Amino acid sequence: MKTKNDHSQPNILVRFFSSVKLAIFLFIMLALTSIIGTVLPQGESLQFYLENYGPFYFKIIKTLHLYDTYHAWWYLTLMGLFSINLIVCTIKRLPYTLRLFKRNYLDLSKDDLLRRPFKAKWEITNRNNLDQLKEKVINQFLQLVGKVKTKEDVDGGKLYLSEKGNWSYWGVYLIHLSILVIFAGAIFGSFTGFKGRVMLLEGESTDHAIQMDTHGNVKKIPLGFTLRCNNFKVDFYPNGAPKLFESDLTIIENGKEVLNRSIVVNSPLTYKGVTFYQSSYQSVPDLKIRIVSSDGEQKILDLSAFDKGLWPEKRLLIGIIKYLPNVHGAPAARVYVGDATGNQGDAVWLLQSHDREIQVGKDTFRLSLISAKEKFMTGLQVKKDPGVWLVWLGCAMMILGFGIVFWVGHKRIWLWIGQDNNRLEIILAGQTNKNKVSFEKEFEKIKEAINKQVGE
Amino acid sequence: MHLSSSYILSLTTFVYLGATAIYLLYWIFRLEKVGILGTIVTIAGFIMQTAGIGMRWYESYQLGYGHAPLSNLYESLVFFSWVTILVYLVVEFKTRNRVIGAFATPFACLAMAYASFSPNVQDSIQPLIPALQSNWLIAHVITCFLGYASFAVACGFGIMYLIRGDSRKSSSYLLEALPSRKTLDELMHQTIIFGFLWLTVGIITGAVWANQAWGTYWSWDPKETWSLITWFVYATALHARFVRGWAGKKIAYLSIIGFVSVIFTYFGVNFLLSGLHSYGSS
Repeated sequence: MKTKNDHSQPNILVRFFSSVKLAIFLFIMLALTSIIGTVLPQGESLQFYLENYGPFYFKIIKTLHLYDTYHAWWYLTLMGLFSINLIVCTIKRLPYTLRLFKRNYLDLSKDDLLRRPFKAKWEITNRNNLDQLKEKVINQFLQLVGKVKTKEDVDGGKLYLSEKGNWSYWGVYLIHLSILVIFAGAIFGSFTGFKGRVMLLEGESTDHAIQMDTHGNVKKIPLGFTLRCNNFKVDFYPNGAPKLFESDLTIIENGKEVLNRSIVVNSPLTYKGVTFYQSSYQSVPDLKIRIVSSDGEQKILDLSAFDKGLWPEKRLLIGIIKYLPNVHGAPAARVYVGDATGNQGDAVWLLQSHDREIQVGKDTFRLSLISAKEKFMTGLQVKKDPGVWLVWLGCAMMILGFGIVFWVGHKRIWLWIGQDNNRLEIILAGQTNKNKVSFEKEFEKIKEAINKQVGE
Repeated sequence: MHLSSSYILSLTTFVYLGATAIYLLYWIFRLEKVGILGTIVTIAGFIMQTAGIGMRWYESYQLGYGHAPLSNLYESLVFFSWVTILVYLVVEFKTRNRVIGAFATPFACLAMAYASFSPNVQDSIQPLIPALQSNWLIAHVITCFLGYASFAVACGFGIMYLIRGDSRKSSSYLLEALPSRKTLDELMHQTIIFGFLWLTVGIITGAVWANQAWGTYWSWDPKETWSLITWFVYATALHARFVRGWAGKKIAYLSIIGFVSVIFTYFGVNFLLSGLHSYGSS
């Protein structure tokens, strides 16, 4: 005799993890907790939460990782439990589904057939050509249903079975499995891929992407090749809404141009698993400035934003602080001028055709803005995700699974036919687990066809 | 400027209002002819609305924008209303029960009224910004709204289920006309599966699109997250059938809660939260 304990003890975990109740609990918990991250701003600095929510809530937010809810330990735990629940449930239900799948629907008696949801019965007596009629009915049935399985000697007659869609029980498994495949793809991708940014001026190139983590640390990720932006184009609708952002890119590998393509939003460029997405742009000033020193020497400098101009002989350094494309019809720029050591210097506003003098140390310099034009800087999202195909595979499986669950039913149609001297008995029976309306039509069609044969 | 398509579309509000009233009359007086009239009016409204959507599509080409009318809040509301009627007509055709119309047409009417007459919703045709210039736009919107509309109809079934009461107890004249609880439970389940299928495809097409536009198939944007919340609610409703004592009434409540979540995913996110789908806030 088994005691109650040793029977249930090993199963208690399995039973817990395989219960639909756990699944429902997890659905509700995930639904409720997911709300947090849509209401509370995510990914801000800890300072932000302290200032906006006070010390008490700040403590909760920090402890529960609510500033990044969907990657918090407890949220991932819920997801993990959800996965375990799915796996255990699937394994536990497998034998049951297998039985359902393998069940032989020829093992039925005449009475069983008459208990099916759809049925019809004919009895023909006192007719001459019963053999011929029997033959006709069977042929008609086979013609309408196609492939059948048969069994002799069922209550003195022969049983024909047309069975379709018994594999549809696996649709649910496909859906459940697909969720795990998507999770696997997401996890695989997050460990093997990267996400970063590239900002390129027209004409500029780079061999790495920039990644910034939540603490503001910058990391350079090598691309394995060089990317150059040849040109950037932006276009607007008459109402001012943006119409087009387009970057003309060239991939350079081992000093050779290997690929040249224009990308726009929604049409990225992929090379060696790395994809570049058009995501933003900036317009950047490109200035030509003339500097005349007090001894009459002069130099013309080409200055672009974020760039320093140097006049080594005079130990002079110059940079753009601010640029305004249109001040009373002319471009203006605030520039810093100082000595190369950075000890002395001053900032001035330069307006086109308005010279300015500036004192650096004991020298005086006369600055004039010769010309200013705008250059574009394209902002690209860079991404490598080797797990994405697994995610798409999972999505395809899920859609297929739903299609099966919704549209494919397990349809069974039986024909039993028995002859006893001058008496012919026919039973037609049908059963389906889905879409009863269209099945009924199919069933009625066969019934009518047999009626016709019998009625002659 | 009043576009002629938005004029026609605003008129459908009243046609659907009429249909609702007729279905209600049918429910009360149970005259077969009134019921048939309800169906005729609904179909007429549907044809009118289809023409309006087609005209709007044509007008967008005339303005030089040339895109399917599925790009802003106004257009999505019109489409939601259109699909709700479509799903309802299929259900009516399959079940041959017209009382359901009294519970389904109000959703379409309300959506059209909100689209046409709320100052929050602009009915002008806007050009597509770069992020929306994708073939996935049509697939994403159509699949999402097939889901939303099915959930609206399922919510109607849920309400019917709850007011139907226990059929074994003596029921009133009005309640008798509703389908039985067993039928309603089955209808609710079928519509929820159908909606769930399309919501899933909608989320997936959105993910494919996001991946193409930004390089991320899932970024926990509020709209995405709320669609997932909705997904969990209906997943609960679908699995609740397998728990003893959870079938029927609890699922009816879930179909209503689920639709509230759909509404929040649809409007709440746009008006109350920020994110990628900010078209509604304009």
